[in-house]
Amino acid sequence: MLKRLPVYILLLLGVVIAVVPFLITILASLKTTVELVQGVFLLPEEPQWENYRRAWVDGNFARFFVNSLVVAFGVLIPSIIFSCMAGYAFARYRFRGQSAIFVYLLLGLVVPLQALVIPLFYMMNEIGLLDSLWALILPQIALSMSFGTLLMREAFSSVPKEIVEASVLDGAGSWRILWEIMFPLARPFVGTLSLMFFIWTWNEFLLPLVVNIDPAYQTLPVGLLYFQQRWTSDIPVIAAGATIIFVPITIVFLIFQRQMIEGLTQGAIKG
Amino acid sequence: MSIDRATPAEATQASSSNDSVGDPSASRGIAFRRIEPFLYLLPAVLVFTLFLVAPVAGTVVISTTDWDGIALDSASFVGVQNYIDAFQDSGFWMSLWHNIVLIPYFVILPAVLGLIPAVLVHQLKLRGARLFQAGLFLPYIMPGVLIGVVWRWILNPVFGPVNAALDWVGIDAPSWLGDFTWALPTVGLIGAWAAYGFCYVLFVAGIQKIPTELYEAARLDGAGLWQEVTAVTLPGLRREMAVVLSVNLILALRAFDVIRATTNGGPGDETQVLALFMISAAFNANEVGYGTAIAVLLAVMTLVLSVLVLRLFREADA
Repeated sequence: MLKRLPVYILLLLGVVIAVVPFLITILASLKTTVELVQGVFLLPEEPQWENYRRAWVDGNFARFFVNSLVVAFGVLIPSIIFSCMAGYAFARYRFRGQSAIFVYLLLGLVVPLQALVIPLFYMMNEIGLLDSLWALILPQIALSMSFGTLLMREAFSSVPKEIVEASVLDGAGSWRILWEIMFPLARPFVGTLSLMFFIWTWNEFLLPLVVNIDPAYQTLPVGLLYFQQRWTSDIPVIAAGATIIFVPITIVFLIFQRQMIEGLTQGAIKG
Repeated sequence: MSIDRATPAEATQASSSNDSVGDPSASRGIAFRRIEPFLYLLPAVLVFTLFLVAPVAGTVVISTTDWDGIALDSASFVGVQNYIDAFQDSGFWMSLWHNIVLIPYFVILPAVLGLIPAVLVHQLKLRGARLFQAGLFLPYIMPGVLIGVVWRWILNPVFGPVNAALDWVGIDAPSWLGDFTWALPTVGLIGAWAAYGFCYVLFVAGIQKIPTELYEAARLDGAGLWQEVTAVTLPGLRREMAVVLSVNLILALRAFDVIRATTNGGPGDETQVLALFMISAAFNANEVGYGTAIAVLLAVMTLVLSVLVLRLFREADA
């Protein structure tokens, strides 16, 4: 018979291997270059906050951070609204071409970003949006539509008919039914969906790398790449830049752990 | 609240049995009622068409031309020439081969590393196993560039702790990401590291959905631990396996972020992969037509492979 202790140790080992790279990166970000090689788990004699100042100011992380936030919410809010509207149309109405339009919108689940990023660059250039946050926001709303519509259609389909019928009798219009009755009932789905959109947008790398050349319009992942190229051997400063990126994600993750794990395992299909 | 994990195909099937709810607009005119759902669909369809479908169509169209990305009138139609060029280009085959080499690391290794503890936790009815989930899952939510940057310093031959530790026990370690032999396996292992916790969490959730009666029945038939796993657990995890395999297979084929941040295709071309090859053809060599042809091939390959995996597991279902 198997014993339990070895399995606990195995799991613990798995967690340690998953988490330690981040922990030692935080430690490294507070050290001097000399302290860095003296022992990876040793604490710095005096925390080098200067590394963070250099990342934030000299490395332009303040700008990247604001851009990342603007893009994340600029994608998130319209994506949620449009997904709810589309999901509502599919859940509540019967109309001509319904399944054809549904399949059309789901095409986004199988199309990789690589398949559209090259023409996007020239398209954005043509309509004058190259080197702007719009060039990052608009395509990512489009990329969110497939998963969003799919999930919100499921969410609204599970709302009991009686609730909707009662509000129709009360004279509520379809727009009010969507936002005042359906939407609050579907809040858990909306929450999960928001987290997915947020993390996908926050992490996106290929799109900003291709469509924006001006560093002023870059988000954190591309910013970190610039940063690594500029301070190749100054590891504490690079570690500070990395820490600025992963600490906020980790905090969001720890707060919304359950929804996020749930959402990402389903959202895995989006790829 | 829990949402069932549903593949798009399954969700489509479910939709056909859905009745429309209520009477959308009893008090309004028939004409308005007809167009109402389309008004709700308009924003989604519009943004989707303009910024996803149109550029995808653009990719296909441009891939049949020799456009250099500069003057549109200088581009001419070349048919499938770019595709023929790709098949005759050793750089294309080498990049594709590197993607294929990454598959065992990105797909099989994390699946095995996630499956074993998931099965053990279930068989031993281990308590508190959920506490480990968050830590295991953490790498999966991180941006690929960040993962690349973190591992690049950890594996740094001069400043990194890995080589320091190996040096301490007397092993003369290679420079990993800078080493011609080790670069590709190292990138692969980084990918496996990022994915094993995700596989574990998926498998644990899947095992919990297997009806306990199946285990009781197996035990009544005198099944041992091993038979229980092979006869009940593994077949019960077919859906999760299909998801893990197809998702990670797609990641292996599309691999870009981690590689861009660690080796950028080097040393030499040792870690050159299709996505990097495509970008550099389009934007560094100004062969936009050729780059888009690679993009089309990449998209078709991911599509075909994921359909194959899903079909394989669906057939096993029947």
